[in-house]
Amino acid sequence: MRPILAIAKATVGEAIRRRVLLIILFIATILLFVAPLLGVLSQRSEQTVLTGFVLGIVQLSSAVIAITLTVYMLPNEVERRTIYTILSKPVQRYQFLLGKYLGAVAALGLMMGLMSCVTLIEFGIIQQNWSKGIELLQGIGMFFIQMSLLASVAMCLSTFIAPLVNFFLTGGIYLIGTLGYAFFDSFNKNPNAPMFSKGLAWFVSTILPNFASYNVQNKLINPETQITNPIQYAANAIIYGLVYITIMLIAGMLIFDRREV
Amino acid sequence: MAHPSKSGLRKKLLSIGLVLFGVQAFWGTKFVYPEWSKEYSPVIEGKDLISGSLSADQMLFALAGFRELIAGILWVRADSFFETGNYDAILPIIRLVTFLDPHQIDVYATGMWHIGYNFTDEEQRSDRRYIPSALALGKEGATQNPTTYELFFETAWLWYHKIDDNYEKAVEWMEKADKVDDIRLQPARRNLLSRLYERNGEVDKALNHWFSVYDIAQAEYEADKDRRNFSLHQNRDTIENNLDTLLIRMSQRGFFASKEGRSLEPYDVSPPFDVGFGAKVTVTAERVLRVQGNWDVLSIGTRIRCILRDDDFPDTIPGGVLWDKSAEVNFDPSRDKTYMMELMFVRNQRFDKTIDMSRDPTMYPFTKKNYILEFYYNPRSAPEHIQDKFGWNGEGMTDKIKSNMRKDIRPNQNVFFYSMPISRDQLLLRGDWRGKTVTLKSPGYRETKEDYNVDDAKPESPMLGGQK
Repeated sequence: MRPILAIAKATVGEAIRRRVLLIILFIATILLFVAPLLGVLSQRSEQTVLTGFVLGIVQLSSAVIAITLTVYMLPNEVERRTIYTILSKPVQRYQFLLGKYLGAVAALGLMMGLMSCVTLIEFGIIQQNWSKGIELLQGIGMFFIQMSLLASVAMCLSTFIAPLVNFFLTGGIYLIGTLGYAFFDSFNKNPNAPMFSKGLAWFVSTILPNFASYNVQNKLINPETQITNPIQYAANAIIYGLVYITIMLIAGMLIFDRREV
Repeated sequence: MAHPSKSGLRKKLLSIGLVLFGVQAFWGTKFVYPEWSKEYSPVIEGKDLISGSLSADQMLFALAGFRELIAGILWVRADSFFETGNYDAILPIIRLVTFLDPHQIDVYATGMWHIGYNFTDEEQRSDRRYIPSALALGKEGATQNPTTYELFFETAWLWYHKIDDNYEKAVEWMEKADKVDDIRLQPARRNLLSRLYERNGEVDKALNHWFSVYDIAQAEYEADKDRRNFSLHQNRDTIENNLDTLLIRMSQRGFFASKEGRSLEPYDVSPPFDVGFGAKVTVTAERVLRVQGNWDVLSIGTRIRCILRDDDFPDTIPGGVLWDKSAEVNFDPSRDKTYMMELMFVRNQRFDKTIDMSRDPTMYPFTKKNYILEFYYNPRSAPEHIQDKFGWNGEGMTDKIKSNMRKDIRPNQNVFFYSMPISRDQLLLRGDWRGKTVTLKSPGYRETKEDYNVDDAKPESPMLGGQK
């Protein structure tokens, strides 16, 4: 366990020094601060637009950070040949991969934590609505699971795919896993949709990770929305996410183990 | 104990991975997706996913979690269409915004008003084929936003003000609005329920509601110790005044006598007043009607409803339509159906109006062979001073031609209704009617050479009046 933690710690340090990630984080923070100005778009629903926009910014920037952070992680180590130094020590490949992943998730957690603080300041101090700010942390918490899942997909693919291809592939999987689910859902809810479309949607949604299940903004944006059992739903979604992350890491370990570096 | 070989470990990991893959598929489809679809999905049951009307980038942003933002941007864009009068362009935006953010109350309310009132012909007659959609939009908005009175109220208002015939529905929606707490912030709207009860002939309910809102208004007035809020004072006095007036009307119209089974003879509604209806319809040119007639009710405030419609127009009832039969929001009403409604303003016991439908072929397509021309007067829609004679239910109203007074077409009411058939050939002056003048007359029509448009015209018949 110690090598895993050591690698994770080093990964966090490396991640927070990467300029590209800091720039994304900076832009996201600026956008979060200017978000209240968008209230003008809906005179009586300023809070609704603000909440939706803030959550959207957190989600989108976290996704970009998660992908950018993980797609370069292994290839950079190989390219810089630092991996030889590490693997020559008593460190197993699976420990290296696991350490990298945990480090990436921790770095992601730090960055999302910062965005959460900005959100809290936004709602608590500027909008004088602390309860809303705290409530939004639930949504951001679900996004964190979503991003951890996304990072595991990128990490798994990075064991055998070049970073640029991986960037677009992971991005594509994320799009299908979030936006695609809305389409699959519309097929399922439309009695006139062809059976072939429904079958294909079911097949794809069974294989690809369901990122959409972590988009639980409804209740947060529109408080009057009634959700039957949000805690049970969150628990189910988290279990699903953890299982999928484990699968991705196992697949990554198996591939990385065979890979010549 | 021997360590497992590397290939054995790999096989074990692979097996665990495969088992977990099965677990995620099961867990995802059994416990996660169904709940997400029910509670969190952007797709509403029975509706298509927002589609082609959004550009690709808007669609992406909308689905990526910026739904409310996109809805706001679209609505700002709709505002510019309002300013330029491009009303058609606003319709899809209303639909998109309500799909994207079903909690935009203003969009539902403005959308209902827009489609209910703003689509008119060249003479400002509104296209009533849109009314079912306006009502359906209100119903959808109220279902999506049950925690505010606003869309219940807006739907009630559409029934009351625009449809102005089926007050039962207006009451039904207003009662729903009255149950939501935030209506207390709008006393004038809260008071409206009494008016609607009265219009619906439920006079005792109207009285009880006035008493109940008076108690609230009085308590609010008392709570304002410093007397800083003048509107509280004004509201209480208005309610008190309305309450007094209603009590007087109940007495003068014989409401209490009727309840006690006494004769209505000494009251204003007795004897019933003969409205002396008669109408002449002349097709002066293709799709142009001149409607003239006599209606002996003096003097100001009478408007007789004149309807020209396909004889098979869907869901019709005499003098109206069951407007809420369809629950579908359809912004493109059928282009082959004709439904024209005009209110004939009576002046000095006469009405005379030229209805020109020739400039609006999409609103009046006249694709059917046969049409019905209806004249309808509902005493519940009448202004108060006329209702003082006719009563809430038309008990003080009659016509020489007894068949014109109908008790079977509106529940518990005695309404005026007369209809005459007219053919497409007659309306378009085609076929046998080419080059001829089409004139249709109802029994009771009186020709006159008097100019009844002057203010001091001598009435032809006795004036409307109460008991001497």
